[in-house]
Amino acid sequence: MNMINLVGLLFTFIFLGLIVVFAIVVKTKFGLKIREIRAFKKIRESIDNSVESGSRLHLSIGRGGLMGVENGSALIGLTVLRKIAQLASECDNPPITTSGEATLTILSQDTLRETYREINIFDRFDPVANRLTGFTPFSFAVGVMPIIYDENVSANVLLGHFSSEVAFIIDTGMQNNCVTVAGTDDLTGQAVILATTEDPLIGEELYASGAYINAGSAHFASLFAQDLMRWLLVLGILGGVVLKIFGFDQIFINVLGGLP
Amino acid sequence: MKFKYKIPISTAIAIGVGFVVLLGYFWGTRTNGELNLLGQIRTSFVEIAVVLIGVALLIGIINLVSVHVIKIQKGENEYYSIVLIVSLALTLLVGVFDLLRTYLFGKTFLQGTLWIFNNIQLPIEMSLMAVMTISLTYALVRLFQRRVTILTGVFAGVIFLLLLGMIPFVVTKVGFLGDLRMWILGVLSVGGARGVLLGVALGTIATGLRVLIGSDRPYGGG
Repeated sequence: MNMINLVGLLFTFIFLGLIVVFAIVVKTKFGLKIREIRAFKKIRESIDNSVESGSRLHLSIGRGGLMGVENGSALIGLTVLRKIAQLASECDNPPITTSGEATLTILSQDTLRETYREINIFDRFDPVANRLTGFTPFSFAVGVMPIIYDENVSANVLLGHFSSEVAFIIDTGMQNNCVTVAGTDDLTGQAVILATTEDPLIGEELYASGAYINAGSAHFASLFAQDLMRWLLVLGILGGVVLKIFGFDQIFINVLGGLP
Repeated sequence: MKFKYKIPISTAIAIGVGFVVLLGYFWGTRTNGELNLLGQIRTSFVEIAVVLIGVALLIGIINLVSVHVIKIQKGENEYYSIVLIVSLALTLLVGVFDLLRTYLFGKTFLQGTLWIFNNIQLPIEMSLMAVMTISLTYALVRLFQRRVTILTGVFAGVIFLLLLGMIPFVVTKVGFLGDLRMWILGVLSVGGARGVLLGVALGTIATGLRVLIGSDRPYGGG
């Protein structure tokens, strides 16, 4: 194993250890608090509104493949879908899910099916409420547009991997007077979301979704572990800058380069 | 009480395979670059996943067709659905015909598929891209209607400066604009992007680790 792999493995296991430790701390309710993010408040309000008005909630989990690095954002979308399905169980029209990746469509179908079974409303499960709208970015976005127009959608929750094509979905939502909450792992998509929505989820805020919608103690724990790891990284980067300024960087490069 | 036997089994498979793939990523190669046993197992698992994703693609197409068949039956905007199904069937036919010719003659025949791609799909996607630029310009205007904060001011100001810095006539008259543009793109933009990407990377690792310890189970059973 070379030095880079060893550091990577160490980093992963420290992260894992922190999640486990924080999960225990969270369970003991040791006074850990999180700041308010308006987008999540809006998601809760949208669910309440859709229950009252009988309209539909649309959740899109993007087009990130399970084999790529973007799968993290898609898994977050699935966590939120599960929670939304539970909260919107009293709604006349169950939530509708869209994705641009076949595996995500199957997983969203599975998530809804199991959630409905758990809360004993399995008869309301509709397999076609989980839709694959297209395989390319634009065909996916254009496929979502008629769903927002035609299916009595009052709120769009877009959590997953989206790039600039998300502008079409958000624009359609606005024309239809829908509330839109969006977050993505893609930098271009984040810029578009910042310009087009009132409450964007920027950067790692998307990955905090589970903690904000009370999806379980592990989500809180991983949020705190993320914060701690980020501070460690910041310290590492600042340390690197200081070493570079004082000319010690070459010593480290030589030491690391000499290791197998 | 009904025992949910599926959940522990699928969770055990996910955790086991996940840890093997993770350890294989770090420990899967020898110092000479060849794969060791762990690396070979990891590669096999990844290859199986790729095949399963291919199967999922077929299931996805079936889902797409079934949604539109139901729409036709219900009479909800059925013309769009008919166009979609006819287009899908024609593309599939052309693809199968191309494949058959490839296998029969031992040479690659993808003319039909390429014709569809170059003459139908590409122009449509390009025109959508053009529409999107207008949509984004309109969104920027609406941004000022919705909220005027320091952030929106900086956002629009930077866009203005970047656009000005791209015009050759302006850059020759006001030389520092070109340099300013390069500095924004090379220093501020890259630094900010790296910061955001670090957050995204940490979030992705945390999500993966939650799946590894069985806390998140997106494969059924919550």
